[in-house]
Amino acid sequence: MIEKNSYILKGGRVVDPARGIDTVMDIGVSNGRIVDPGKIKNPEVIKVKKLVVAPGFTDMHVHLRQPGNTTAETIATGTMAAAAGGFTGIVAMPNTSPPADSAGTIEYIRRHTELYGVVRVYPSGCMTKELKGEEMAGIGGLKSAGVVAVSDDGKCIQNHELMRHVVEYSKSFGLPILDHCEDAFLKGEGVMHEGKWSTLLGMRGISSASEELMIARDIILSRMIGWKIHIQHVSAGESVELIRNARKRGIMISAEATPHHISLTDDSIKKFDTNYKMNPPLRSEQDRLAVIEGLRDGTITVIATDHAPHTATDKLVEFDYAPFGIVGLETAIPVCLTELYHEKILSLSDFVSKFTVGPAEVLGMDFGTLAEGKPADITIIDTEKKFCVDASKFRSKSRNTPFHGMEFRGKAAATIVAGRFVFDEIGQ
Amino acid sequence: MEVNWTRKDLLSLYDLTPEEIVLILDTAEEFKKVSERNLKKVPALRGKTVVNFFVEPSTRTRVSFELAEQRLSADIINMTASSSSLQKGETLLDTVRNIEALQADLIVMRHSCAGAQNFIAKNISSGVINAGDGAHGHPTQALLDLFTIRQKKGRIAGLNVSIVGDILHSRVARSDIWGLIKLGANVTLAGPSTLVPRDFEQIGVRVCHNLKDAMVGADVINLLRIQHERQRAGFFPSTNEYARFFGLNMENAKYLNPDALIMHPGPINRDVELDSALADGPQSVILEQVTNGLAVRMAVLFLVAGCLKK
Amino acid sequence: MPAKRRLCNSRKMDEAIEGVADAIIAEFSRKGGMDFAFIGIQQRGVPFARRLIEKITRKTGFKPEFAMLDTSMYRDDIGMRATLPVIRETDIPFDMNDQAVILTDDVLSSGRTIRAALDAITCYGRPSLIRLAVVVDRGSREFPIRADYAGMNIIPEDGKKILVEFKETDGSDGIYEIDWSNPTKGE
Repeated sequence: MIEKNSYILKGGRVVDPARGIDTVMDIGVSNGRIVDPGKIKNPEVIKVKKLVVAPGFTDMHVHLRQPGNTTAETIATGTMAAAAGGFTGIVAMPNTSPPADSAGTIEYIRRHTELYGVVRVYPSGCMTKELKGEEMAGIGGLKSAGVVAVSDDGKCIQNHELMRHVVEYSKSFGLPILDHCEDAFLKGEGVMHEGKWSTLLGMRGISSASEELMIARDIILSRMIGWKIHIQHVSAGESVELIRNARKRGIMISAEATPHHISLTDDSIKKFDTNYKMNPPLRSEQDRLAVIEGLRDGTITVIATDHAPHTATDKLVEFDYAPFGIVGLETAIPVCLTELYHEKILSLSDFVSKFTVGPAEVLGMDFGTLAEGKPADITIIDTEKKFCVDASKFRSKSRNTPFHGMEFRGKAAATIVAGRFVFDEIGQ
Repeated sequence: MEVNWTRKDLLSLYDLTPEEIVLILDTAEEFKKVSERNLKKVPALRGKTVVNFFVEPSTRTRVSFELAEQRLSADIINMTASSSSLQKGETLLDTVRNIEALQADLIVMRHSCAGAQNFIAKNISSGVINAGDGAHGHPTQALLDLFTIRQKKGRIAGLNVSIVGDILHSRVARSDIWGLIKLGANVTLAGPSTLVPRDFEQIGVRVCHNLKDAMVGADVINLLRIQHERQRAGFFPSTNEYARFFGLNMENAKYLNPDALIMHPGPINRDVELDSALADGPQSVILEQVTNGLAVRMAVLFLVAGCLKK
Repeated sequence: MPAKRRLCNSRKMDEAIEGVADAIIAEFSRKGGMDFAFIGIQQRGVPFARRLIEKITRKTGFKPEFAMLDTSMYRDDIGMRATLPVIRETDIPFDMNDQAVILTDDVLSSGRTIRAALDAITCYGRPSLIRLAVVVDRGSREFPIRADYAGMNIIPEDGKKILVEFKETDGSDGIYEIDWSNPTKGE
């Protein structure tokens, strides 16, 4: 890693939606903070002409697998993957082994991040003990241990009464809820989207209704209690509509979409490639376009990858038996730039906000801008660079991606955390 | 324009061109003659090793394949899930790689998961023949259905073919649908609305939820077996109710043309989906389906075995 | 299109076939009776057999029975070639047992096709006698097989093959030397 203490990023297009800035200007960094470039004595000059200089991107939905499943990923490799993908911060999901339902596990994660993490890791804690959906976890204790949000990701609390208590209680600790919305009965043993293709292929489907029903539940609870519920990985068109109407009414609902849900659809399952199997599943073209529209009109304010590493052994099995999930940190920016920015659906400023302002608002945290005095967490992007995905070169330990061999336009050129370059491909 | 068979595997009729399907049927014609003469054997697959790997058990299909392989002079190994190391937790891929390491030329496989054979075929160099994968496909059954129809009716294009029963869970129905569409037949699906999804209309197939509509004007009617597990799972209330509304019986048979063919992939639930008298009657070609199955499987084994290994 | 050079026009080819018919008649008249059937090997052994039947019927009044045989299922090279041969029709309408049979094919080369045909024939019964008639014997035998009657002997240049075309299958009669390795415009 390149050690520079004081430097100027010169001539880049600075896109800082939090301050309404989109202009060519210089950014100064000193002692890990953003400073006035004019005030630096003898700075090193790093030319970033034709590159986009943005506040550090945060991925709100990452599975680091540690503690527990370190064959697939560790805090070290997961954060390296994040850095290579242009992310300066990630929110770690709590479905580890043991699950992050106690202060002890959070402490473990924080200690490992300090020792081996390459980017900022914001842990989330479980809503229920052992993610069983039966008893509330010690949410107060988790808050003290440093979680930024609570989630049962991977699962969804089916008992609405319990969910109501969780939302109410979390509100008093100021912890937003990140919900993986799914009705367990409707999901059943489904392995792909329930629709034309599940019918033609003879596979069990997961109906969009499974997601829609729980989103409706969350909207009602958010309205009743007046607290933030963030809907993870929205995949269905009808879900977007529910969220849109709720937000119009001022209900504290936010939503995120993944890069794969805006670029892939359920017909890809006919290849029976388990690198296309995830939950929620890839849905129809109609759903994909509706999610994109949700990003365009501001219904969905966050893009998050749901980075879910799995070993090749685990994924190289019959489609029905393969675990759900794909990695996403190292392909998020290329895929989203290609599908959203280059397709002229989002302006560069809106694009950047999905990874900066959006997550900051949901989590109520103070990141996502390049104002002077802020920590120098910076993401530098080459929006034109051709990138052919080569999974064998991933920094992640896992290779389970549907994008291997595909070409995209644009990728992260450098990632800076607290002024330190944790990833640098400028000029390559 | 002569068609050549160039595929290392037979996984699904969805993948085949109409010309390839016709090639299989034409080849099967010649193999049928082999089974009709005194010496029912040809040396075509002599020295080739075929492994019948039935992870999902079967009697009828396995026996049919075994006999086809023997008539082609192949060496045969039979494996099931319980007789393999899948029992000990070995992955499917590892098990099949072990089979490949024994120089098996062909693997005839049945599995309860859709796409299992596609997955395996991509990862080994032996040829893979799909003998049924979940509810996804059963290509050799569809091929023998097409062969039987062609033999009896002289053609497939333009015929009205109705498939009746639990389409949702049927691999036979799906393969039949692809084969029939590719060869130009008009397909109608009929059954309870819980078991016959309208999504099929998007590929040009007619869906109806009453039997009479499927019978009037049909040249062929193919009855599917109704499974009791589906009744327990709540897809229909009782076998009696199914038989009453969707079973082909002596009363509603009047809606069928007298020269319409009655088909069934077997085994038949007599007097549920099909009345005994009709199953054994002059319109029924059910036993011929079985005979033709042998010829079709010989043709498929011959064509797939003849392909250069990659 | 592979390079194709004509060796024989339709008249010469017909004379050669006539010669084969005469030789067959001569042998069987001597032996004690015109009593034999033809088995044409797919694909071009079939029109050859039909021509012989027509000539023999015209000359002697005896019309031999006709069968077609496809040898694909008996080949020794299944799985070794880039493409599989297409299986054509086999139709043997007579009882093979104790039957004298004349196998016909267009070109005799390695002898492997004939070996496969002999295997196939013995699956149908036990013929009393098998003779082999070809339009062209081109040498380069790999198996100990001989032609009893050959229309002509032609040794082609190295790397070239002999192609016999019939009006029924190819539009016109002719015998050609063909160079598959050197594609140019055909004649």
